[in-house]
Amino acid sequence: MALLETQGLTKRFGGLTATDDVDLAIEEGERVSVIGPNGAGKTTLINQITRLLDPSEGDIVFKNESILQTEPHEVVQRGISKSFQTASIFPELTVEENAEIAALGAEHGSFRLNFFRHRNRYGGVSEATRRTLEAVSLWEQRDMEASALPYGDKRRLEIGIALASEPDLLLMDEPTAGMSPEETNATVSLIDEVQEDLGLTLVLIEHDMEIVFDFSDRIVVLNRGRVIAEGTPGEIQDDPDVQEAYLGGVEL
Amino acid sequence: MSDESANPADRTETATTVDTADAADTTETEADGGETLGGASSASTVASLQARWESARDRELTVIGLTIVGVSLFPYLFARAPVVSDLLQGYQELASLMLVWGIFAIGFDILLGRTGLLSFGHAALWGTGAYAAGWASANITTFPLLLVAIGVVTAVFLSVVLGWLSLRRGGIYFAILTLAFAQMIYYMASAPLAFITGGDNGLTGVEIGSLLGVFDLGTELPSVAGTLLGTWRYAFIGAFLVLSVTAIYRILNSPYGIVFQAIRENEQRAEFVGFNVWRYKLAAFVLSGTFAGLAGALFTIHGQYVPLSSLYWQTSGEVVIMTVLGGVGSLLGPLFGAGIYLWVEYIVSGGYPFDWIAPYWLLVLGLVFVTVVVLFPEGIWGLVGDLRDRVATRLEER
Repeated sequence: MALLETQGLTKRFGGLTATDDVDLAIEEGERVSVIGPNGAGKTTLINQITRLLDPSEGDIVFKNESILQTEPHEVVQRGISKSFQTASIFPELTVEENAEIAALGAEHGSFRLNFFRHRNRYGGVSEATRRTLEAVSLWEQRDMEASALPYGDKRRLEIGIALASEPDLLLMDEPTAGMSPEETNATVSLIDEVQEDLGLTLVLIEHDMEIVFDFSDRIVVLNRGRVIAEGTPGEIQDDPDVQEAYLGGVEL
Repeated sequence: MSDESANPADRTETATTVDTADAADTTETEADGGETLGGASSASTVASLQARWESARDRELTVIGLTIVGVSLFPYLFARAPVVSDLLQGYQELASLMLVWGIFAIGFDILLGRTGLLSFGHAALWGTGAYAAGWASANITTFPLLLVAIGVVTAVFLSVVLGWLSLRRGGIYFAILTLAFAQMIYYMASAPLAFITGGDNGLTGVEIGSLLGVFDLGTELPSVAGTLLGTWRYAFIGAFLVLSVTAIYRILNSPYGIVFQAIRENEQRAEFVGFNVWRYKLAAFVLSGTFAGLAGALFTIHGQYVPLSSLYWQTSGEVVIMTVLGGVGSLLGPLFGAGIYLWVEYIVSGGYPFDWIAPYWLLVLGLVFVTVVVLFPEGIWGLVGDLRDRVATRLEER
């Protein structure tokens, strides 16, 4: 049984069908990339999985349970984490506090009546905070205000926040968007490392074809909300439909 | 070694303690807390947790201690000390009133400063606390402690309802909703419920008994305590202020404190690290409502009368101004904001330092407010912090 499955997932915005009957199955430990031209419905797909958006039809099953009735924070608690397209961090807090919040979210649960209990009493949190910041190489900068970090570091911190939630499945929305080539390389190897260390299942939305073909076990191609192809990087490269629809007929 | 407390000053302190603890292991710890070579044993993890807990407790005791000292010296300096009290023109009852409003403001700051939610309807909670205590004093009991409890419980109940309704929306809509609900309660109190509230006349017939059946709140404390604190009433209110500061300090250092900040900084991200943002916002609202109700009940005990204006929107505005004036997001700042606001309202409006200034006291208040907001965006507390840093730098240079 797959870790995550979407069954006939359909989302309509007025007359526009953003995702159209999408069936996906993502196995544990897999690295799957979702690609497609602008407006293909990639982000809408992710937003439905994280429960930011309600699907119009269809079902989402995670760990054999439907998550259609859950709130976004419950989805995180069940083990789906997301890194955002922009550096979504807590700007006025320190780097360390940023990671601490995420680690606390994982350790502590979504809500508890414990407002007189000191947070230093949650021992696992400081451990997890440190581990996370070391994993994304930001431990040295831990006392800096997050807003003072360079852009690439902010994106790494953002990935760190997503990781500190201790997810089983990590959804990454264009993790290298807006990065310089050096930052992109560093981020890709970071994701690579983290994925292997933690045995994460990864779903990547990415525009950079080089990254996608290097990185993925499997690629799903969306166009106008529909899955038009699915397969290993080799299969996708040779697929005439993909070349036609997505790559505009250009040979790769 | 792991330490991650919010305060950098604390970190160095902790680091030293932990270094000592770690010396037993062959763990090598750099001064900046960098690489740890070799695994830290679980014993040292426990030791470091212990050290951090102890240093956190020390800071807590410092804050509480300073608050007690401040509360004890304040009425003497304000109302009786030579020179200072002449300069300030203070008097005992105003000192008590400042503490009452101070409790209101530091509680309000949980919502405004920490969680980043501007409520414009806290008059409803303060006023309800005040009316509940006043009504109970005429109908149920005159014991001050019970009156406080009744005021607080009523305000908590109301803040759950108001919060639940108003937190459907964020930002300015939240402010408008709280304002609307609070004004609804004001109009309810002014006419339909006048048989309980006394309508425009306010609630009269408030009777406050003696504390624990022994100490009359209006009488002076014995010996030195009398010189410093003045009346039992001030001591009673002061004790609740110390209690409030302690409670809020605890709240801010619990998981709630950091979750509130996370919500203020980036609500969506807070949701996406797995926190139930809506419930935490409601918790912030109810916690601040608790202190509003406490302050309201103390207001009744202090004045033995509840004016209808305690429910009016202007009261909501006043607490916002006090909080911003004192310093949003600082634990003790709003106390100073409340003090200055009331000083202008009661002393300057009485024609001090110049007779002609009396009718212009609101203008004075406005000028003070604008000056502070423009020059010291972090409020008076921020100014205090700046001065402290500057003095510290000077001392280091020597």
